[in-house]
Amino acid sequence: MKVFEHLPHIDFMKYKGIALAISWSIILACFLWIHPWKGADAHVKLGMQFTGGIDMMVAFKGDVHQDDLRAALYNGGVRDAGVVAYRDKPGTSVFSIKVKAKKGQDEKDSSAQIKQITDALKHLDASAASDHRADLNTESVGLIADSWVKTNPLALPGDETALRMAYEPWVNKVTKAREQYSPMSDYNQLPQDLPASLRSSIEKEYRLGTLSILKNESFSPSISGEWTWKTLKAVFWAMGAILVYVIFRFTVSFSVGGIVALIHDILMALGLFVLFGFEFSVPVVASFLILIGYSMADTIVVFDRIRENSHKPEYRRVDITKLVNDSINQTLSRTILTSLSVLFVAFCLLVWGGHALRDLSFPIFIGVITGTYSSIFIASPVVVYWDHWFGGAEKIKQHAHPRT
Amino acid sequence: MTKRSLWRLTVTLLICGACAYFFIPLSQVRLGLDLKGGVHFELEVQGQEALEADLRDTRDRLQDRLKEKGFPDAVLKLDGSVLRAEGVPADQRPAAEKVLQAFYGYDAVFTATGFSLTQKAAYQKSLKDDANKRALQIIENRINQFGVAEPEITATGAEGNRIVVELPGVGDAERERIKGLLTTPGRLEQRLVAKADPTSGRGFPTREAALAFFKGTLPNNTELLPEPVSEHDLRLQGKDPSVHKPGEELPVRAWVLVEEKVYVDGADINKADPSVDPTTDAPQINYTLNKKGADDFAVLSGIAADEQRLIAIVLDRKIVSTLSCREKIIGGSVRITGHFTKADTEDFALKLKSGAMRASMKFLEERAMGPSLGADSIHSGVRAALIGFITIIGFMVFYYRWSGVNAIVALTVNIIVMLGLMGSFHAVITLPGIAGFALTIGMAVDANILIFERIREELGNGKSIPGAIQMGFDKVFWTIVDSHVTQLFAAMLLFIFGTGPVKGFAVTLTVGVCASLFTSIYISRFIYDWILERHPGIKTLSI
Repeated sequence: MKVFEHLPHIDFMKYKGIALAISWSIILACFLWIHPWKGADAHVKLGMQFTGGIDMMVAFKGDVHQDDLRAALYNGGVRDAGVVAYRDKPGTSVFSIKVKAKKGQDEKDSSAQIKQITDALKHLDASAASDHRADLNTESVGLIADSWVKTNPLALPGDETALRMAYEPWVNKVTKAREQYSPMSDYNQLPQDLPASLRSSIEKEYRLGTLSILKNESFSPSISGEWTWKTLKAVFWAMGAILVYVIFRFTVSFSVGGIVALIHDILMALGLFVLFGFEFSVPVVASFLILIGYSMADTIVVFDRIRENSHKPEYRRVDITKLVNDSINQTLSRTILTSLSVLFVAFCLLVWGGHALRDLSFPIFIGVITGTYSSIFIASPVVVYWDHWFGGAEKIKQHAHPRT
Repeated sequence: MTKRSLWRLTVTLLICGACAYFFIPLSQVRLGLDLKGGVHFELEVQGQEALEADLRDTRDRLQDRLKEKGFPDAVLKLDGSVLRAEGVPADQRPAAEKVLQAFYGYDAVFTATGFSLTQKAAYQKSLKDDANKRALQIIENRINQFGVAEPEITATGAEGNRIVVELPGVGDAERERIKGLLTTPGRLEQRLVAKADPTSGRGFPTREAALAFFKGTLPNNTELLPEPVSEHDLRLQGKDPSVHKPGEELPVRAWVLVEEKVYVDGADINKADPSVDPTTDAPQINYTLNKKGADDFAVLSGIAADEQRLIAIVLDRKIVSTLSCREKIIGGSVRITGHFTKADTEDFALKLKSGAMRASMKFLEERAMGPSLGADSIHSGVRAALIGFITIIGFMVFYYRWSGVNAIVALTVNIIVMLGLMGSFHAVITLPGIAGFALTIGMAVDANILIFERIREELGNGKSIPGAIQMGFDKVFWTIVDSHVTQLFAAMLLFIFGTGPVKGFAVTLTVGVCASLFTSIYISRFIYDWILERHPGIKTLSI
């Protein structure tokens, strides 16, 4: 079985002008729509790691409406929270709550803010209104241990340290159980081997709240600028290293073509990423670096064939356009196949990977498509243009490392 | 089997065996905090504070030295980062220079009536480095005593002033308490309540009231420090002190004017224990001082007894207790009760025992992840990766027939090698790492596709089967190397610039690229050669 029964003869270079124009206008359009120069008003969603702030994920047993949560936060004094609802498990409502840090805010403020948020969330906990016992799902592990050491329900001998040692494994079992159910909704979910006296002490002293905090992150605004800078530095270093490597292995025209294609792919993926409303986080930046590596690897397959063909006698006297066109046609089936295999994995991660992997796999998904496209329609035309302008057709042959 | 094939088989089996050996003890595979749950803190040591503390300390010591060496009129004042001395006449300059020899970390500039001191750059650096080292040590100390399994505490940052603390299995409920343990320096100071204090140690209700009393400027060498409510105060207000959680801040009861001079500091504490006063049931802390501390405390208590003044025990710039002395105390054993609750005494004693940090900490990042979120992520991440993997296998067999099976063998070895390398590096598996794993498998297949397509092309050009295989691998070799190297650049930069989950991603990618290079070129080639060897006259290749 083959992608093409016969070797295709498509004149790709005929479309080089149109392709360059369309691609860059899409990028320009995205850029104009995002208007990053407007700072805070730009259509870019930045994760809390970049802006500083609080990023929480909470779960409620039962149905809680997003608007109720917003209202509860507002009444609790948290005015500028971003709330997004996820619906992962039936019977549980999962929300992400994000609050951007203000300028000059320190960790005391963020601690206070977290407390404000958790207090506001506790108002949504229906069981708290009628029941003043502590909530087993959010109680500190140390305090559960303290209360057992104090009351000693198993009536064990020994001093405080001995009791603490004796109760510790049971406390761990209880916390494991509550984490497993997060939140625990029934006393039957307590570990089965828990002694009856401990079980009854829990039932007596703790209620089961419906709230559990899945994730609670806060980032100081003082390192947010640092993250942005670090990220840009990583991207530039990666591009620089690739540029130098390609100059070393091929020639300047290939290197320029490869880098132009690379920039095209990054900008296209960035534009679409923002356009589709995804949010930047540090793992997303990581996936952009992968895109850089992949896009270049794809371009190299085509470039390698151009270089190989340039040494063949039948291409000695022909125009560079034919050389590039034939090379692309000869490698077309493998370009398509290799792209599809990675594209498929990216697709699986995008669709079935859960929301944590969705943001991360989107740039790769886009990057594989544009990477394939740009190898043919961006990188190769740049090589052709470069050689038309600087007369480098001979240079490709001279500088190429001859190999057997 | 020829010697060459036998040799290759041995290499392959050895590598697989070694990798399996590293991977099979599954306990070696560590899950990242994003999958296992736990808390992650990134802290910055506020080195500037260490510099300021040294300036204050130098001022006190230099003042004493100058008095001893015959400069009774010398007055020292802190002016930002400059220490100015007045009342040292120019003709006594040599004598003053002799005193200053002991303060080698400072540059001195003399004027007509005195001199000014500034810290040397090298000295500042050593102070900061020392503060960083000490902070790391103390945090390790406190976390170990707190009792968390497998804590990970590492110094990072260009200047080494960042500390990353990762505590797996610690929940959100415990976070505030640990935060308190990490940030507060645990600096205990024993000072005197200022003579100018008109309230005889009871303090002013607010800072503003105190400033108003002194008409905006405090008397020389004194400062105002807050005093939190005590457990007794809480009881009087009708509140249950046990509601107060450890690490939570107590409200301020009063502001007290105290002298800036520190007579005894926490560095001289030998041991500290929490306990309860048997008669009043009030929480208390006992600590014993070393020889130097005991001597200094004797001096301090002597002054307090003679001048009928109060001693202020200050922890991290908060007054935790004020004591009156009837006589000079010798022996250095101190018991204090005061402005803290029972729940705090344990952490309090722990801080005193572990020693004081030179500077406080600033939180740059803190994360708490529940384990259930990680479990969900693992579930969906692994599911997505498996769907991708199985489909790719299916496609390869469908498209390349028996050669596809060859690719699958290579892919399997690839996975074994990847897991083995990750196991031997003690790599941490993170959520992006799972994505990286799936993606590298997709990319590893690419190398096989390139080779197979080339072999097909060579067969189409009329080459013999052994010739086509030979040409296929040779021609594609550099293409594969080039494309892998560019990916390696990206992966390595991720490793250099990334932290936490991103680093995990970078490790899987780097390992995956290396493994793919090995399996596509070495293993696939070996399988073909072996088949050719067993069926020398083969007419068709299933590709």
